[in-house]
Amino acid sequence: MKAKHLVWTRRISQAFFLLLFLFLLIESRLPQDIFVDYSRVLSAEQDLALHQPVKFFFELSPLIGLSSLVSGHRIINGFLWGAGVLVLTVLLGRVFCGFVCPFGTIHHLVSWVKPSLKGERMLKANQKTRSQRIKYFVLIALFVGAVMGLNMVGLLDPISFLFRSLALSVLPGAGVGLRVLFDAMASSDIKIFNYLSYGAEVMASPVFGYSDQAYQGAWFIGVLFLIILFLNRIRPRFWCRTLCPLGALLGLCSRVSILRLEKDHEKCTNCQLCVKSCQGAASPMPGEKWENAECLACFNCFHACPEKALSFRFSWPPGLNPRPDMGRRAVLGGLVAGVSFPFLGRLDGQLSKVSDPRLIRPPGSLPEYDFLTLCQRCGLCMKACPTNVINPALTEAGMAGFWTPRLIMTMGYCEYTCTLCGGVCPTGAIENISVKEKIGRPIKIGSAYVDRGSCLPWSGNAPCIVCEEHCPTSPKAIYLKEERVIAPDGKAMTVQLPFVDLRKCTGCGICENKCPVRGLAAIRIIAAGESRSLRNQILL
Amino acid sequence: MSREVECTDTSHSITRRESIKKLFRLSGSFALTGAITGFARMPLPAWADSQKKAFMVEGIGQKEGYSVKELTRKVFESAGGMKRFVSKGDVVVIKPNISWARPVQLAATTNPEVLEGVVELCQEAGAKKVRIADNTINDARRCFSLSGARMVAENTGADLIFPRSSLMREMKIHGHRLDVWPVFVPLVEADKLINLPVAKHHALSALTLGMKNWIGGVGGRRSALHQDIHPSIVDLAQFFKPTVTLIDAIRIMTRNGPSGGSLSDVAEKNTLILSDDPVAADARASQLFGKNPENLGFIRLGKKWGLGTDDFLSLDRNQVSV
Repeated sequence: MKAKHLVWTRRISQAFFLLLFLFLLIESRLPQDIFVDYSRVLSAEQDLALHQPVKFFFELSPLIGLSSLVSGHRIINGFLWGAGVLVLTVLLGRVFCGFVCPFGTIHHLVSWVKPSLKGERMLKANQKTRSQRIKYFVLIALFVGAVMGLNMVGLLDPISFLFRSLALSVLPGAGVGLRVLFDAMASSDIKIFNYLSYGAEVMASPVFGYSDQAYQGAWFIGVLFLIILFLNRIRPRFWCRTLCPLGALLGLCSRVSILRLEKDHEKCTNCQLCVKSCQGAASPMPGEKWENAECLACFNCFHACPEKALSFRFSWPPGLNPRPDMGRRAVLGGLVAGVSFPFLGRLDGQLSKVSDPRLIRPPGSLPEYDFLTLCQRCGLCMKACPTNVINPALTEAGMAGFWTPRLIMTMGYCEYTCTLCGGVCPTGAIENISVKEKIGRPIKIGSAYVDRGSCLPWSGNAPCIVCEEHCPTSPKAIYLKEERVIAPDGKAMTVQLPFVDLRKCTGCGICENKCPVRGLAAIRIIAAGESRSLRNQILL
Repeated sequence: MSREVECTDTSHSITRRESIKKLFRLSGSFALTGAITGFARMPLPAWADSQKKAFMVEGIGQKEGYSVKELTRKVFESAGGMKRFVSKGDVVVIKPNISWARPVQLAATTNPEVLEGVVELCQEAGAKKVRIADNTINDARRCFSLSGARMVAENTGADLIFPRSSLMREMKIHGHRLDVWPVFVPLVEADKLINLPVAKHHALSALTLGMKNWIGGVGGRRSALHQDIHPSIVDLAQFFKPTVTLIDAIRIMTRNGPSGGSLSDVAEKNTLILSDDPVAADARASQLFGKNPENLGFIRLGKKWGLGTDDFLSLDRNQVSV
C-alpha cells in the first residue's frame, strides 16, 4: 500500500472510531422514545435496557479486561475484544493507538490543528525523552496494585478517562451553556430568535436530557481534561507518549510485532521531516534506533519521507524487536508504588473499621472489597442513571475509592424498578440484576431514618406525608401514625407522623429527594443496612 | 374569566427565567412544526355557565373481556359525542395521571386504553393536535414507557410532552391559598383541556381523583403543597378548569397509594366517570372507595368555593355499559 493511502486509511479509521465513541457516549442514557408494549407488561418487573452496545469501547481496552481478570478474577463480558486488540498489537504494533483509540485521536487533533510548535521546536519536541518511561511506571503501579486488590486502572485508562471527562464534565457543561444561550435567545425581542431557541431546545434535549445534569466535583474532572489536552501544545500526543498505561501495555506487546520500520541509510538526506511528523517520538530517522514500543503506527514518517528511505514491512520469520526503554527506576518504582497503594488505600479504615454512611453504592454493587477490584470509575453508570443520583465519590469511599459511584439523594434517587446502572457496568462491579431480583430479594442500598427535629409534623410545624406518599414498596416502608402534637403557637393539632420500617426500607432515597425540607432533608438515607455488606447492618 | 386573561395577568409576576416563554403566549405550541398556532383560546367551561345543567355519564364494563376503549367511546357518545367538547382545529391537551413508573395493572397510572380512546375521539372530532402532558414524579421516560403512554403516542400520533424545566412558568393562580406558582405551560396553552385521572388512595387527602390530578400540572416545590393539601387541590382545580373530566376507575388503588406497587392494592371497578363538574365527578368516584364525599376536605372546599356540587344525583345523569 502506498504511504498516502495508508495515512488516509488511518485518518478515516480514527474519525470513524471517534464518532462511534461519541455516538455511544450520547446513547448512554435512557432514550426519550423508549418503548414498551404495555399489554405485555404483566407485572412491575419490566426491564428497560439501552438500545446500543454502550460498553463496546470499554470491552475494547485490554487494560480493563486484564485488570479485571487479575484483580477481580473475572472474565468480563466482551473480554475477547480486548484480547483481539492484544493479538493485533502482537502482530502489528500499537495500531490501536494510531487507528482506533478515540482519546489518541483527540490528542492527535489537538496537536495537529494549527500546531504551536514549528520547525526546530517541533524537532526538539519530537525527540524521545526519558519522561516517556513514566507510562511504564504508571502501568506497572496500576497493574501490580490491581493484583494486590485495588484496581485503580480506570483512573488513567484512556477509554475510562475520556468517557468520564466527556460524560460528567464536558457534556453537562455544554448543556448548561446551551440552556443559557437558549434562554438569552428566547428573551430576545427578535421573534425569529424565539422560535429558533425553542426548536434548538427540542433538538438538543435528546442529547443533553430534558433536565440539567450535574455531578459532584465535575469541575475538577473538566479541569484535568483541559490540562491533559493543553499538554499536547508542549509535546504532541503528550498523554500517549508519557502517561497512557494502555499505550505502555501495547508497547510491551509490540516487542514481537512483525510490522517493522525499515530504514535505508543510503537514501536519507537528513531532512528530518520524518521526525517532525512523528506522533510517538519513536526516533524514525535513519541512523537512530527505531523505538518500536513508542511507535503509534501512524505512518506519518513513511508518508513524509521524500526520498523513500523509510518503509513499513512485514518481516518474517518473527524475531524480537528492540527492548522497550522502560528504565530500571520506572520498573522498580512501579512495583513499589503498586504494592503500597492497596495498603495505603486501606489506612483510612473504610474496609476494616468504619464505613462512611454517605457511601451508598448503586443497587447490585458487589461487597466493597470486590467492588474496588473491578470498578473502573469510568462514569458509565453515572451517565446512564435517569435521575442523576449516581455521582463520583470524592472522600466518601476513602482515597481508594476516589471517583467510584456513590448515590447522592439530594441530586436524585434510585428508581424502584430501574436497573440501568448494573446493565451498563462494563466490569460487573455493579451486577446486572433484573428488576425482579432488585425488588424481590430485595436489594437494599441503605436505610432511611427520620430527623424528628426538622420533620414538619414531628416538630409540629405542618402536616406532611410526602415521604410516605413517595415510598415505592408495597406495603410501604414508611408508615404513618396519627398523633396530636403541639404546634409552635402552643395549639394542639393532629398530624400523621412518619416512621420507618427498616425491614421494608430499601434505601432508594426518594423520600430524602422529595422531602420539602430542602438542603438537608428531614428524612435521610445512610448506607447501613445495605444488602451487599455483612458488617454494615443495623438489625439482628 | 377566560384563559387568555389568565395568561396576560402573568406579566405582573414575570421572573427572570420567564421571559422565554413569551413564545408560548404567542404560539401555544411545542414543536417547530406547530409553531404557528395563534393565541391560546379557551372557551368558558361548561360548568361555569349557569344556564346549562352539568351532566355525568357513568360507563360500566360488565361483560367478561370487554373492550375498555369501546367503553370510553360509549361514555363520550352518551354525553353527546366528543364534538360537544372539542371543535375542529383545536389543540387538545390531555392530562392523565402518569406520576409513577408502574405498569397498568397496578392502577398507579391512567389506563392507556382509556387514554388511547380519548386521543382517538379528539382526533376524530377534528382536533388539530392532541398532546399528552404530565409533570411526572418518577423519571418521565420510564413513566411514559411503562405506563403505556408512550405506546399510545406511537399508535395515535399524539405528542408526548416531557416536563422540561423550560416549560415551567410562574403564573398567578389567584387562589385562596396559592398566589404564584410554576405551572406546566402546555396545560394552559391548550384550546381544550381534558382531565384524565386514575382513582387512587392517598394518605393525606384520603383519595387522589380528578381535582388532585392538577398537582401533576405544576412544578416547583410541589411537595410543600401537602402542608395545606385541600385548599391547594381546589385552588389548582379552579385554575386549570378542564373542559371535561373523565375519571378512570377501571382499576382503582385502594391502599398504599398513591404509588401502590402490588396487585393486592388494586380493586377492579370497571367504571368510567365522565362529567363537566369536577366536584361531582370526584364525589361519585369517592363512593367507589366506600367513602362519603362530605367527609373529603377537597370536595367540601370545592363545593364551598363554587367549583361544583357534591350532589351528583342532581346532575343530568346517564349510564352506559358494554
